[in-house]
Amino acid sequence: MGWYLLRRLGAAVIVVLIASVVVFLGVRALPGDPAVVLAGENPTPQVIASIRAEYGLDKPLPVQYLDYLKHLVTGDLGTSTQDKLPVSQILANRIPVTLELAVLAMLVAIVVGVLFGTIAAARRGKFADYTATGFGLLGLSVPHFWLGLLAILLFAVKLRWLPASGYVPFTEDPGQNLERMILPALVLGTGFAAVLMRQTRSAMLGALSADYVRTARSKGLSAPRVVGVHALRNSLTTVVTVLGLQLGALISGAVVTEQIFVIPGFGKLTVDAVLTRNYPVIEAVVLVTVVGYIVVNLLVDVAYAALNPRIRLGGI
Amino acid sequence: MRTRRLVAALAVVPLLLTAAACSGTETSVGKQLTGSAPFDARPVRDGGTLTVGLSQDPDALDPTTANTFVAREVFANMCEKLYDVDENLKIVPQLAAALPKLSDHGRTATIAVRQGLKFNDGTTMDAQAVRTTLVRDLTLPTSSRKSELGAVTSVEVVDDHTVRLHLSRPFAPLAAQLADRAGMIMSPAALRKYGKNFGAHPQCVGPFSFVSRTSGSQIVLKRSPYYYDKAKVKLDRLVYKIVTDANVRSANLQSGDIQVAERLATSDVGTLSADKSLKILPGGGISYQGITINTANVHGTDKKPGKVDTPLAQHPELREAFALSLDRDVINRVVFNGLYDPDCSPLPKNSPYRDPKATCPKRDLAKARRLVKKAGVETPVPVTLSLTADPVSERLGQVIQAMAKEAGFAVKVVPGEFVTTLNQARAGKFDTIQVGWSGRVDPDGDINDLVTSGGSNNYSGLHDPVIDNGVHAAATTDTAQRRALYSKVIAREHELNGIIYLYHERYFLGTAANVAGIRYYSDGIPRFATAGFAK
Repeated sequence: MGWYLLRRLGAAVIVVLIASVVVFLGVRALPGDPAVVLAGENPTPQVIASIRAEYGLDKPLPVQYLDYLKHLVTGDLGTSTQDKLPVSQILANRIPVTLELAVLAMLVAIVVGVLFGTIAAARRGKFADYTATGFGLLGLSVPHFWLGLLAILLFAVKLRWLPASGYVPFTEDPGQNLERMILPALVLGTGFAAVLMRQTRSAMLGALSADYVRTARSKGLSAPRVVGVHALRNSLTTVVTVLGLQLGALISGAVVTEQIFVIPGFGKLTVDAVLTRNYPVIEAVVLVTVVGYIVVNLLVDVAYAALNPRIRLGGI
Repeated sequence: MRTRRLVAALAVVPLLLTAAACSGTETSVGKQLTGSAPFDARPVRDGGTLTVGLSQDPDALDPTTANTFVAREVFANMCEKLYDVDENLKIVPQLAAALPKLSDHGRTATIAVRQGLKFNDGTTMDAQAVRTTLVRDLTLPTSSRKSELGAVTSVEVVDDHTVRLHLSRPFAPLAAQLADRAGMIMSPAALRKYGKNFGAHPQCVGPFSFVSRTSGSQIVLKRSPYYYDKAKVKLDRLVYKIVTDANVRSANLQSGDIQVAERLATSDVGTLSADKSLKILPGGGISYQGITINTANVHGTDKKPGKVDTPLAQHPELREAFALSLDRDVINRVVFNGLYDPDCSPLPKNSPYRDPKATCPKRDLAKARRLVKKAGVETPVPVTLSLTADPVSERLGQVIQAMAKEAGFAVKVVPGEFVTTLNQARAGKFDTIQVGWSGRVDPDGDINDLVTSGGSNNYSGLHDPVIDNGVHAAATTDTAQRRALYSKVIAREHELNGIIYLYHERYFLGTAANVAGIRYYSDGIPRFATAGFAK
């Protein structure tokens, strides 16, 4: 396991390095010169040239990349061109917000998805199965944006149960924090719940027809114990894999959800940075996302191995 | 292809039907809200926090480098200027004691600075501070104010409360420029302390002082203890919350999460104005939107004009036909619920520099068809219209497409991301583009640089001596003379049709009904110095 982890970490560093080149070139391939964007409505060539010089955009690309890499290894992510704040400070403010949203959305997804998926499989072909599958289809089809607006209109404007938007840090006021995160977490979690529900249902159906379940039943174990302990535990490997694979969808979902609910998270930062051609911020968010992916994949693999001893034995 | 055209035609039918249904009359909402903004003078109580929904995150809060409209909204309440505008867009002194005194045939401007003023960091605001600010605006390499103060060659401190500006040429828009970011005086102590990072810690003279900023989320200001007119300021705090989506901004206003929402979507104004717990204040009107036709911009606005190989560029009569095929009133009703000001001039409707006798040509389909025929080109004439990808702009594009089609044009609407589209405009990589201008109080800011030879915003590539000579209108201070000169320029613009002006936008400020004392003028910038919650 230790050697396996080391190998994976070495590969991860190479991936991050390759990603940094791709991100660097990708950002510069974006149409629209950031210096022109920053120079405003009446740009003079001199002002544009000064802005380029200030951000080192007048240097050849390889030099720019090496500068970027040099700063990166020292932990300097640069300064946001838009509001002149240090990128590391902006990220430090934004990442916990998105992580909180992601964790809450995942909780919603796991609770709802696994529960509904298990019920649907256990009650296959019955009313509960059709209802759960119907909700799953709805959850997959409804766009986040529309669902978010609908949630705001219903719960904030009509019923006035919850605030429409905004974010209060948990450390500042836990009550207000949760109050403001309920709707975004539900909206973001709905899509994942649907995916998880379908995966859980399918995995559970496979498990319920497996020999070991038949053996468990023949031993006289109760139905909840057979479903909840034996079948579900084996189905969870699929669910965990899906959770890892859904990270990308979670981030893209967070982009939309954070826009609607005005949550100052990572997703909103990404959109704003791209729209304003804020190179240092775009580079930082993409790189952090890549690192996030690698870490999550690593964790998924470890969890996968922990859940299924055969994988460990296989030395995968 | 045929199917696509059919679908496009069917999509536009409901829009045109709507237009026909309300043709000839103002929509009820439009009628109520096209007047100037009322100032609600109800007495307000002391204290409270007002949360304002902004449509964008401002750029750096540094008056020397800032460029966004929303930054001006924040500045208006913490960084006062030498001059301001009143509800009639008249320039009035703010930190200056009087309007500039011109001498030496308009080559020197003497400005008296008010006495006893303090910056929000407690330091003294005087003539030296004005000089420090203006010199920074003129010399900082990344300054966006250089071109605005282009005529200023040096700034001299006459005494503690008087500065003298030396100009390279007589420059009538000077006071108007000093009524915007170029006239925002920054604390020299803060400039020394923060230098280029002043925007992260702005300190000026204003009713509110800067507290904090969470990038992309909110900006917090608090009542300033040093403000010269602090007795009038009632609010404890002013919080700007960034809510980019107009629907979400409206929903936040309705739910009470914010008490003020700027730039409401015209589609929401009707519903919100019917809500008794809310009020709608109309403002704005100095910005404009139009269609720019590439006539000679081959390699970019900063390069020499050349020959553009499109029917519209090559045939002036086709440009005229295209302009005549459009009905500005219908566009206003269909796309903006009749809430904007249809117009064919870059100058706002209340500008004293407009020729009162000038009128806009009406839609004339017969003449447009004749002109297309006269051009002798194959019909339908292909036209590519680039615009920003958002539902309202795309709807505008569809209406233009449907109208122009009747005159013999096949308009292909190409939506794109804003910065990319603007980039194409500057680079000359477009046929026609739907773009606008945020507008200036002085006409020089609406004309010079946008249509004159070599202007950085002259996307069309216009290069015409009559238009270029019009810039000299900025050298005279006589309003009647300037009016006559600008009228000639605009008449010539109509002949060349490099820009087909369509309308002036109006901004709608939604507020909770219990909020009073906001001043919201034609410049579209809400001023909260006297605002608060009604008693």
